Amino acid sequence: MSDRRQAAAMLAPYAAGLALLVFAPAAATVALAFTEWDAISPPRWVGLANLRELWGHEPFHKALTNSLVFAAVAVPARLALALGLALLLHRPGRRVGLARTVALLPTAVPEVAYGLLWLWLFNPLAGPVNRALTVGGGNGLTAWGALPPQWLTMPTPARAAIIIMSVFTVGELFVLLLAARRVLPAEVYELAAVEGAGRWQVFRRVTLPLVAPVLGLLALRDTVLSFQVSFTPALVVTDGGPPQGATTYLSLFVYRTGFEYLRHGFAAAATVVVLLLTAAAVAAQWWLLGRYRSRYVP
Amino acid sequence: MRIRVIGAAALLLAGLAGCGADRPAAGDPVRLMVFGTPEELASYRTLISAYDKAVPGRPVQLVEASDRKDLIARLSTAVAGGAPPELFLMNYRYYGQFAARGAIDPVDTRLASSTAIAARDLYPQALEAFQWAGRQYCLPQNVSSLAVYYNKRLFARYGVAPPKPGWHWNDMVATATALTRDVHGNVANAVEAEQAPAPVDVYGLGTEASIVRLAPFVWSHGGQVTDDDRAPTRFALQTPAARAAVQQFLDLRQRFGVTPPDEEVESMDDESRFVNGRLAMLLSSRRSTTTFRAASDLDWDVAELPRHTAPANVLHSDAYCMTKGARNPDGAWRFLEFALSPAGARIMAETGRTVPSHMAVAQSPAFLDPARPPASARVFLDAIGHMRRTPTVATWPEVEDIAADLFENAFYRGDPLDRVLADLDRQTRPVFARAGRP
Repeated sequence: MSDRRQAAAMLAPYAAGLALLVFAPAAATVALAFTEWDAISPPRWVGLANLRELWGHEPFHKALTNSLVFAAVAVPARLALALGLALLLHRPGRRVGLARTVALLPTAVPEVAYGLLWLWLFNPLAGPVNRALTVGGGNGLTAWGALPPQWLTMPTPARAAIIIMSVFTVGELFVLLLAARRVLPAEVYELAAVEGAGRWQVFRRVTLPLVAPVLGLLALRDTVLSFQVSFTPALVVTDGGPPQGATTYLSLFVYRTGFEYLRHGFAAAATVVVLLLTAAAVAAQWWLLGRYRSRYVP
Repeated sequence: MRIRVIGAAALLLAGLAGCGADRPAAGDPVRLMVFGTPEELASYRTLISAYDKAVPGRPVQLVEASDRKDLIARLSTAVAGGAPPELFLMNYRYYGQFAARGAIDPVDTRLASSTAIAARDLYPQALEAFQWAGRQYCLPQNVSSLAVYYNKRLFARYGVAPPKPGWHWNDMVATATALTRDVHGNVANAVEAEQAPAPVDVYGLGTEASIVRLAPFVWSHGGQVTDDDRAPTRFALQTPAARAAVQQFLDLRQRFGVTPPDEEVESMDDESRFVNGRLAMLLSSRRSTTTFRAASDLDWDVAELPRHTAPANVLHSDAYCMTKGARNPDGAWRFLEFALSPAGARIMAETGRTVPSHMAVAQSPAFLDPARPPASARVFLDAIGHMRRTPTVATWPEVEDIAADLFENAFYRGDPLDRVLADLDRQTRPVFARAGRP
């Protein structure tokens, strides 16, 4: 068998899965976006009506804004934490293995169980987070005399809660960045030490440029994921609230519109917008990555 | 050649699968999709096991959804997938979306020829709620309404008189105020709990801020909830009578502080708070009864809903609906006949879950037995005479969700009522416009 045939044979199962489980549903979604369909009676062609309705649909705008804000805050925060952990734990040492396991562990917890755990942690009165914040204060106030954050009942703390939850599931990013850091050549660091570079200079001038391609790819991937990972915590912990829709992200909006209100055509139109947004985000980051490569990589 | 063989095998498999789908389905289990608390689900299991004994060899399988929204999602996907459950239990406020789309098999023909059950045996208020375009789509299992559950021990401890028949809204507010106590047992100011000298321990009243809780008070005050309950096009809560009733409802939290604030509700729901002796009264339907019966050391009863000017209440009724295209419709009907017969209705009434839709059973000791709390169960039957219902249009679930969000903000966070009513009208009018009419 020639190399090309062998490659094709090995890729075939993946390609078939991709076609069947990703491209076909995506194509069906795009087609459904131009219909009114309740999953019970046959779809009815409505042309651009769904997209026109989306244009002026307040809950959709709110969900879109929430998703963009989530991506803008959570992605850099997740990458920063994962990079920090990778730089901290890349050297072998006492209890480093244990620390790496701890960093990885939250990612291994099933999403719903993870959400239920945070539901308890963020409980406004009985939760450990607010209990810790009120140590030293009196009558339910913090030591500095303010009310602790009302995580599940006020919009901004609720949005912060979802981001905080996402920040702890960086195990995969951590592992990839740890691997990237460990393969960096030791000579470069020895040279920097000889030149008398400080820690910050080493990080800024040596480590960051060298791991930047990996970091860029991970940023790209995490941005795509950010449109999906907010679904379970928003459903389990905040139920999309507090009202109106403070933590309803696009994924939850699509689910509710389709499966609770039986407007699958309209939900498909919203999904198409998510796909376009994702494509735009990927294109922008790809372009930035390309510029970086052309500038720094010979 | 190889392709032909694979093609033939695929066709054969498809043919076999098709044969399986079309085979007579009398022996297939009847799947009944429901949701509820563990105590409610236990009631349905009791009914099913009684049916198994009465009609052996006709299995009924309980399909449990986690909540109403989950049930709707699972039901719609099952219908779309061509494998719907034979039966599902749904409130009249939510069945419209399935009736409008032809997913429910009307039961009027079967009901007319049944020897086990008859329409004249069931409360017409509940039956009518499940009529769509002149046909009977589902058959009501219960005819519940809102009642005031109260903790007798807390009333006795603080020397507060229990609710009397015909009590007024203001009586309820005064009672709730007298029962809202701090940890030292003193009457508490719970509007700004964080500024109070001692934390609140017991709240006077628990309620959701939702349309179905507001509606009876709006009607009692002489207002209307929508412009036309049969074919609504918008809410009608901006009239002076309706607005005053809504404002007084919001005052429960914002002015009198007799209901728990949202962080308290988030920490412990109202039913749990009632069971734990930290809530003196709770506005709820019959469905809370099973939970409260399970709490052995709770001493409680129910009272009628207070009134503004005229007595009013809101129907809370769930019905068995048969899905169109299910595999075993005859089996489903047999179970439905049993569940709504005097024997079946009696079993469900004894579990405490239902105010039976069967009139004779509702008037029998199975429901009214004072040895099984609530002792004043007749309150639920007295409410039937002045009971009204909210619309059943297909988009009502969406309308209710929008209203619940806005009223939650007004109730807990003090959003001005005028803004809330304006937002409600603006956001729900397009949703009403999309609705299918019964």
